[in-house]
Amino acid sequence: MTQTLSRPDGVPGGTDVNPLRAGVASNRITDPCNVVFFGASGDLVKRMLMPAMYNLRLGDIMPNNYGIVGFSRSEWDTDQFRDEMHKSIDEFSRSGPAKDPLWSDFAKRVSYVPGSFDDIAAFKKLKEQIDKNDEELGTQNNRLFYLSTPPSVFSQIIGMLEQAGLGPRNNPKGWTRIIIEKPFGTDLDSARALQLEVGKVFDERQVYRIDHYLGKEPVQDIMALRFANVIFEPIWNRRYIDCVQITAAETVGVEGRGGYYDNAGALRDMIQNHVTNLLALVAMEPPVTSTADAIRDEKYKVLCALRAMDPNKIMQDTARGQYDEGSIGGKPVPGYRDEPSVSPQSNTETYAAVKFYIDNWRWADVPFYLRSGKRLARKNSEIAIRFKSIPHKLFGETGDHIGNNTLVMKIQPEEGVSLRFSAKVPGPKMHIRSVSMDFNYGTGFGVVSAPAYERLIGDAMRGDATLFTRWDAVERAWEQCMPILERWQNSYDDSFPNYSAGSQGPPSSDRLLAAENREWRKI
Amino acid sequence: MNTDAIPVSDIEAIQAELTRHKPAMTTMNLVVWIDSDIKRDWVIERATRVSAKHPSRTIILDSSPGRTGAFVRQSPNGADDDGGQNSRVEIGVADLTPVAACELATSLLAPDVPTVLWWSADSLNEDTAFRCFFDNADSAVVDSSLGVRDASTLDELSTFYEQHRRVALRDLAWMRLHPWQDIIAQFFDDPNLREELFSIIKLTIVSGSDAEALYLSGWLASRLGWNAVGHDAFTDRYGHRIRFQHERDGQPRRVHSIAITSATSTYFGTVDKDDNTVVRVWVEGKNAREERIFPLQAVDNASLIEQAALEGGGTDEIFETALRMVATLIDG
Repeated sequence: MTQTLSRPDGVPGGTDVNPLRAGVASNRITDPCNVVFFGASGDLVKRMLMPAMYNLRLGDIMPNNYGIVGFSRSEWDTDQFRDEMHKSIDEFSRSGPAKDPLWSDFAKRVSYVPGSFDDIAAFKKLKEQIDKNDEELGTQNNRLFYLSTPPSVFSQIIGMLEQAGLGPRNNPKGWTRIIIEKPFGTDLDSARALQLEVGKVFDERQVYRIDHYLGKEPVQDIMALRFANVIFEPIWNRRYIDCVQITAAETVGVEGRGGYYDNAGALRDMIQNHVTNLLALVAMEPPVTSTADAIRDEKYKVLCALRAMDPNKIMQDTARGQYDEGSIGGKPVPGYRDEPSVSPQSNTETYAAVKFYIDNWRWADVPFYLRSGKRLARKNSEIAIRFKSIPHKLFGETGDHIGNNTLVMKIQPEEGVSLRFSAKVPGPKMHIRSVSMDFNYGTGFGVVSAPAYERLIGDAMRGDATLFTRWDAVERAWEQCMPILERWQNSYDDSFPNYSAGSQGPPSSDRLLAAENREWRKI
Repeated sequence: MNTDAIPVSDIEAIQAELTRHKPAMTTMNLVVWIDSDIKRDWVIERATRVSAKHPSRTIILDSSPGRTGAFVRQSPNGADDDGGQNSRVEIGVADLTPVAACELATSLLAPDVPTVLWWSADSLNEDTAFRCFFDNADSAVVDSSLGVRDASTLDELSTFYEQHRRVALRDLAWMRLHPWQDIIAQFFDDPNLREELFSIIKLTIVSGSDAEALYLSGWLASRLGWNAVGHDAFTDRYGHRIRFQHERDGQPRRVHSIAITSATSTYFGTVDKDDNTVVRVWVEGKNAREERIFPLQAVDNASLIEQAALEGGGTDEIFETALRMVATLIDG
């Protein structure tokens, strides 16, 4: 006999509802699942992904039933893989070394399948392991594949998944999702070719293109700042905003990735994905709801409204640079062309600056200046909204400069928001000075944000694609960047190297703004 | 920092001192009521930990005998070691009436930020200052788990809350149980085991103080439609008797273990003997399940107060129904 349970608060319930769940605070992911890491012996898994998984477990966010499977070429067995992962958690986890009994409980759910990405027999073994996990660990046919491999093997792995019966069409009893690391293609054609292969196996709703920038707390706060406050949105438009500057500056060089970077460059590596995503979040219209697709629809519309680069103005509206030797934090560092695996005649940009316009009612004629570079003076990622000058100078003694109001959303390393405005200097005269009002996440909320990967893997396990990039947006971003890429590739820049490591970037970047009587914020 | 006490009667001097030390950012007022010297340092240390993480104006009202005078400090430790993000005033209010103490505290609140009251005193009676402060706060934090008179404190809390439901009330004793509620709930996430909820015959809770056991049993009872029968039993919705056994053991304010016995199986959860940050969970009997490990999330007081403060306003219906059930259980 089926008994019906009615809750004491009068809400009808039944045996399909767990009455003890109501109101119980839990961030735990509800669906059991297997997470499969391709490229499991690689740096990303060691430094970021496995510590993220362990911290999700520590935070009691992992589902009750889960399995983790590593797959890579390294000839390890499961015990060796567990040992390697233990070491990587000990070294890189934000919560310190893994401890028993939690580690032992976690390790029981970790397994490893060695194999090459073109070896169907290895993929069949992977399927056997996943099926075994479904049976023994109760993972209920739910699968999340994570491609943390070089992009060159993405298509191959996806094809093999399908061939081995691990694609979503072969799994009607559960869900199948795939996380694809960036870069998604190296240009528009290769991105489309990759998407073609992805689309043969996965529906768009099953694909999670990861851009770890979007998992950072301050990036998510852009929407909160805009749409959870009433004071900003009325002035968030061309009437009040003079320009927007988006900066992603790094002090590091290519860090042993010279071979990859020399074929990529700053435009591909940063502007096409991270920085363009930030632009979309700043410029988008309020979404109708907070669902993944409602937000991604609005971001896509912004990218559609980006004015196509005039081929005759590309060199005028962009700037590129390559770092020379210099010093960072007082230590001498080599120039880009002296980095290992970099061509001594390299034409690859390590700095890119671009001016975009968004042709819609909100943003017409407001320039969006985007820049990103390596070996710059300071690590600093931020979005600066510079408001227009006051229409009439009423106050201020002769010589007082009344600065523009500027709202800065700080992404890293500082996380927070600051607003620059003018104030009277105390005293008998009406001297005006710019002052800053700061909000800092660390001191404001007293909590340390979870690393982006932790947030994003958890979201993918939950099926929340909000912070992942949809194909249409990726394609639009490539379409926008291609004319610049092609022009840069086809014209050798004789001025390279044109900025010293540890500086603010190349002079050509300053000229980009100076031509319009503006200047970059100091990095 | 001033080292000389400001007379409590000189409100303007206290306000001026607070203004002089005004930090760049304040996210809340934290008003703390202390009524005994024994708890004083313990409470201040925890309040300090909260305000160190969340820039606050902390107003400590100390009604312990002999405490008078006001001291304004810029940072939790009385020094500029946190960049001056906090201001704290400690006021001895032994000579003031509860209403006067409340009025004094109200005049010192930073504007435009929420006010959180942490009531560390045992008694929640109407004749204390609790009512006055309660009505002036956005949320109030109490701890009914004192290890001495838990049952009567909970009874008072229930009575009081029935009459004053405007303010969001957070009881640390209840909040400490959240991980345990989750652990108990997960047994029955499997739809095949949900019928077990209809055949529970015994509930055993081992905890270091009474409030935890009362709340946990009250929560289960309110969720499952049980009625209290005396102090040690419930009846389920079909009138079947459920034995409730509480053993006092282990650290105060902590649940040590639970066992829920149904007609076919017993569901166990117990804190690991070597690592009190994890709980071992298993099932014996017909529905036997092998042992699993669950992390026990931070339940220290500073973290809980912080959580209560960040949760903000709003009432908690599950808490309210559990509290009503606890009152029924206590009344027998």
